[in-house]
Amino acid sequence: MDERTRLLDKYSARIYKNRKEHVIQLQEDPAGQEITANTRTIPGIITNRGCCYAGCKGVVVGPLKDCCVITHGPIGCGFYSWGTRRNKAQAEEGEQNFVPYCLSTDMQESDIVFGGEKKLKKAIQEAVEIFHPKCILICSTCPIGLIGDDVQSVARQTEAEYGIKCIGFSCEGYKGVSQSAGHHIANNGLMQHIIGTGDKRPAKKYSLNILGEYNIGGDGWEQERILKRVGYEVVSVFTGDGSYETMKNAHLANLNLVMCHRSINYVAEMMHTKYGIDWLKVNFIGVGATIQSLRDIAKYFNDPELTERTEEVIRDELAEILDDMEYYKNKLKGKTAGIFVGGSRSHHYQKLLEDLGVETVIAGYEFAHRDDYEGREVLPFLKEDADSKNIETITVAPDEKLYQQRFSQEEIEKLREEIPLDTYDGMIRDMKSGHMVVDDYNHFETEMLIKLMKPDIFFSGIKDKYVIQKGGTPSRQMHSYDYAGPYAGFKGAVNFAKDITMAMYTSAWAFVTPPWKSDPILVGSLTGGE
Amino acid sequence: MGANLVNLNVNPCKMCMPMGAVSAFYGLKGCMTILHGSQGCATYIRRHMATHYNEPVDVASSSLTEEGTVFGGETNLIRGIENLISLYSPEIIGVATTCLAETIGEDVGAIIRKFYDAHPDAKVKIINASSAGYAGTQYEGFFRVLRAVVEQTPMDTNPSQSVNIIAPMLSPADFRQLKKLLESMGLSYILLPDLSENLDGIHEKHYKRIKSGGTPLGEIARMAGAKYTIELSRFISEDDSPAQYLNEQFGVPFERLAMPAGIRDTDALIEKLVELGGRKTPELMRERGRYIDAMIDSHKYCALGRAAVFGEPDFVYSVIRLCCENGVIPVLAATGSVCPALRPALEEEIRKCADRQLVEKTVILDDCDFDMIESVSRELGVNVMIGSSDGRRAAHRLGVDLVRCAFPIHDRVGGQRVRMIGYGGSLNLLDQIANILLGNQEERFRGEIYDSFFETARHTGQAKKPEGTLQTIAQRTASHPCYTCGGGKYARMHLPVAPKCNIQCNYCVRKYDCPNESRPGVTTQVLTPEEALEKYKLVKKQVENLTVIGIAGPGDALANFEQTRDTLRLIREYDPDVTFCLSTNGLMLPLYAQELVDLGVSHVTVTINAVDVEIGAKIYKYVDYMGTRYTGVAAASILLGNQLAGLRYLTEHGIICKVNTVVLRGINEEHIEEVIKKVRDLGAYISNIMQMIPVAGSAFENMELVSNREISEIRNKCSVDLKQMYHCRQCRADAIGTLDNDVSIEFRGGCGTGEEQAALPVKKYAVASKSGMLVDQHFGHADTFYIYESDGTTARFVEKRQVNHYCTGKEDCLDDKQSKMDLILSTVADCSGVLALRIGNAPLEKLESKGIKAVTTYDRIENAVKQAASQ
Repeated sequence: MDERTRLLDKYSARIYKNRKEHVIQLQEDPAGQEITANTRTIPGIITNRGCCYAGCKGVVVGPLKDCCVITHGPIGCGFYSWGTRRNKAQAEEGEQNFVPYCLSTDMQESDIVFGGEKKLKKAIQEAVEIFHPKCILICSTCPIGLIGDDVQSVARQTEAEYGIKCIGFSCEGYKGVSQSAGHHIANNGLMQHIIGTGDKRPAKKYSLNILGEYNIGGDGWEQERILKRVGYEVVSVFTGDGSYETMKNAHLANLNLVMCHRSINYVAEMMHTKYGIDWLKVNFIGVGATIQSLRDIAKYFNDPELTERTEEVIRDELAEILDDMEYYKNKLKGKTAGIFVGGSRSHHYQKLLEDLGVETVIAGYEFAHRDDYEGREVLPFLKEDADSKNIETITVAPDEKLYQQRFSQEEIEKLREEIPLDTYDGMIRDMKSGHMVVDDYNHFETEMLIKLMKPDIFFSGIKDKYVIQKGGTPSRQMHSYDYAGPYAGFKGAVNFAKDITMAMYTSAWAFVTPPWKSDPILVGSLTGGE
Repeated sequence: MGANLVNLNVNPCKMCMPMGAVSAFYGLKGCMTILHGSQGCATYIRRHMATHYNEPVDVASSSLTEEGTVFGGETNLIRGIENLISLYSPEIIGVATTCLAETIGEDVGAIIRKFYDAHPDAKVKIINASSAGYAGTQYEGFFRVLRAVVEQTPMDTNPSQSVNIIAPMLSPADFRQLKKLLESMGLSYILLPDLSENLDGIHEKHYKRIKSGGTPLGEIARMAGAKYTIELSRFISEDDSPAQYLNEQFGVPFERLAMPAGIRDTDALIEKLVELGGRKTPELMRERGRYIDAMIDSHKYCALGRAAVFGEPDFVYSVIRLCCENGVIPVLAATGSVCPALRPALEEEIRKCADRQLVEKTVILDDCDFDMIESVSRELGVNVMIGSSDGRRAAHRLGVDLVRCAFPIHDRVGGQRVRMIGYGGSLNLLDQIANILLGNQEERFRGEIYDSFFETARHTGQAKKPEGTLQTIAQRTASHPCYTCGGGKYARMHLPVAPKCNIQCNYCVRKYDCPNESRPGVTTQVLTPEEALEKYKLVKKQVENLTVIGIAGPGDALANFEQTRDTLRLIREYDPDVTFCLSTNGLMLPLYAQELVDLGVSHVTVTINAVDVEIGAKIYKYVDYMGTRYTGVAAASILLGNQLAGLRYLTEHGIICKVNTVVLRGINEEHIEEVIKKVRDLGAYISNIMQMIPVAGSAFENMELVSNREISEIRNKCSVDLKQMYHCRQCRADAIGTLDNDVSIEFRGGCGTGEEQAALPVKKYAVASKSGMLVDQHFGHADTFYIYESDGTTARFVEKRQVNHYCTGKEDCLDDKQSKMDLILSTVADCSGVLALRIGNAPLEKLESKGIKAVTTYDRIENAVKQAASQ
């Protein structure tokens, strides 16, 4: 019985039927193996998924530091998404940083009965008076769509009345099947209302946007540091430490770098269509991955001076971390890991673990789609289900004035042979035979997988971290990094290596034996003896 | 004061009902909870509880989707219950609703009946509670579930000698204390709920999906037959009160008591328990005695306390009473819940306590947010906050410490072990409060007392100088205007004590008496070290934000090392905190670097224009070193070698070094990047690449300038390697004040006045001024021009004109600079002249082409205008 069979063994027929499509154990050639993803969560299973509001407010628009994000709804949702994600932000000189704030319309029973638009309008007026923001974002919670408050219309009125930017997001928690729906809704709003409204051109020759980087624990800062060292101008970051002010001009950059494909691919694609800006899938998690990404960017611009500068920076940065990395690699080589995060890190972190000689034997996503596992080539074959249909897909046309293609189709094709331009190949291709890939893990499966695969460390989130580490397996929160970071780029890699070495070698483990180290998993008995 | 006037909640001081509902269900034995609604609620709540308790928190969800909002959530809820049973086999399933389920009007009772119809042999007990997020806050959700538990459990009405104890949301450690107390008193009791184990587990070899603690269903059934109910909440409504229900349905008498924190409320509970047949053990009485002993021990520190207590009403009530008992004045009592009963319950208590120490203003708030708590706390001079970790941001901004003793605690471990009830818990809380107050006192006493009582003595030199310095290099850097872009709120003072220079740069002429020029190397007078001290004392009194003393010539600080050393020693004796900064050409650095370190200099600026001796030879006319004058490559070699060795020595010894580089057209403009890389490798912290100022009489007087735009480009290129300074103002050697507001003129003996002259035709002048008094602003930085008329003998103010200023000194203005400059030019088009502190070359030429004379000066406006008009 392989691990997959044993994992699914405990399920009732009905759950088995559902879950078997979400759990695969990789064969010799991982490419082409199918997995089911982005489907409804099974009720009653302790899922790790969040809701549409969490994806829109919590992930994508929340980090925009110069925007007042008002949660329209009862108090809970605003409260729970307040400062829980460690997306760090630093106010620009003379500008405000609203990231540490939680603003909510705090709806009461009467507002649910009689409608909350009035209260929302008054709340906006107060926000304008207190904070004088340039931009207000309204995020709706479950009751809003049900009672019929029209946040888009309130946003339009706000723009007319106060002359500031205001966007209404209908990201009620019940929409879609996970956070992913909220990402899409947020992407649409940013594309329709912010991107393209500025006219400040980048000053440098080569300019970039970093898409899908949320600056958890300062990851984005490390990426910007490296890119600036090479000589790129970073026009805007979506959205960690990002801002309305810079996002306005995002369409004037030369190239979009995509970190988290899941949460931001819509913007990348739409900007490609509308402005002709190519996007490049990068990964700044891992030393090797960072180097690869830097070289890919240089290849795109194809300027010998830039290429040389890139190599120079790589040499220099490597020299600085080499000793540390060697030390930690000695400590970590040969270990195995399991990783289960949202929609991109499970792939990204495999590269960093690889740098340290750690093999990832279990990987999975909470809310990814099939293209994140199998690559964008499966997109034409995805069937749209009822839940996805409810999320608006907006279509954009090339902008008459601003559309500009850097390369001819022929050149693009040629480039694509070398670099992942306008495409993403997914996580599965980078994994090995025998490894487990599990979509939308639940609490039960996490426990079982640890028992079956015995990883030396398991990366996950706060909700399952305690189950894992109390069971004797070191764990590290990959959503928020357990108060640490950054883990990206060169310097971040050392931080990460240090943190997981500490996790595995703490003397506290000497007092704990994980049950799977001493207990047999299958209990059998001999018969016929005595 | 209800804060209900506002519609925007800024940083909420409350959570929603489902959070409380989940917590209450966790106190039942063998219970799993499912939230009926969208899955985000369960996920968010798990996340918050897991961080606080450091335990896995399993809460299921019916995961309603858009389809569910249309057709109802029945299918999902029933499937969810089925799945919970098959994976977890719970004895009880708690179903709590969320905003979504309540808004679409789900009849959960009917759904549960359908479930039982479909599964007639199901053994699980399902309890449901209605807990819409908008219908109340956490503690209301908590009690609503407890009420549902007693309402929906089939009761056994056989009378017993048990006492029902209904507990509010306390930490697991407090639940353990409460149980220990009840047991020690020998009472038979039923505790609902019992959170003592489930959210604070012990390390076990095998992880249990359902924890073994909690109130068993069988016990709950016996509550109807108990002889009495004690409910430890004063503020829960009758509708949500389990005690009320047990009384109405089964005639169980009850009393509602406050949460037993502090001496009076703990006594009250114990007296009640004694009345019900419990006995006070000697150990309990010793605990009480120990608490009273501690109260006496701490009273001196407690009396200093001005506390803000915030959280759920029951928590706030009991903690406020504990504060009052100990003489900590709870100047602010605040709850985010709507709870009008809080004010009457606490008003008199707080008033009495405050009156004893003549504190006039105290505030009680319900329905408030942290924004309000913060502003009221600031107004009331709060010095300790007590509540959950959600107050940390406000506490941080207020600069006060926070006692974390309520749910949730996200930024510390040990939320599950908070102890604050009973004598022992009260003592623990009291110690924490007293320690914060004592700690404050210990840490701040010296500074405060010294400043308020002995300041005069200090000035006359009689008081002993305070020892030691608290500032770190990082703090010094952050408060140094030249090292922190935007450090504009701090002022610096340049002391012109070093007249001699040991090298001659081709771009420099040093004049000692020119009040009308503003650039390095210029001062009106040279001071002796003693004069410098006196001037520092004078300026320090008037310029509050003065943090930095700099020695910037007018010659070279190290070419006059004795003066420099004596000046710094004198000032250090007088003021141990001021930051020392010094600028030098670096020639004498190898000789004096260690002495600079010993003197406590933390910031050094070295001007390095080239790291190639051939280039250097073109810049430096000569170098005087160890008694010999060198020229050409030899001069440049000595200088460069010493600069680099000195820079390395300083940075290795923790000195923050800035490197100034003057860009010289045709000489080093292509070489700058190399300079920056070199100094970066040597550990320089920041680089300041600047334009040459053409000085009449210098060798480079007629050299073509490198434009601002080019400078910007060079800085951008170099910013990859080293932090760039974008805000240099190229100050005078005797500058005083912030970078943008030189006030040195106010400290000069006298200043140049234009002599009376024959009346000339009246002309208009545009003046760039920040203050409206002095010509003290750069042309490009001005967003207002003061327009004056003058005939050369008198000057008259006409009007103020606004322009959109076109240069913020940063790279971002490059694009539309041109059009904005035109805007500025049109603003001053009708003037004969423009007066500014400094002006860039491009605008200068533009102005001249329009026949407008540009005068750069630093003087009182009237004088400057008169002088300009008379020429």
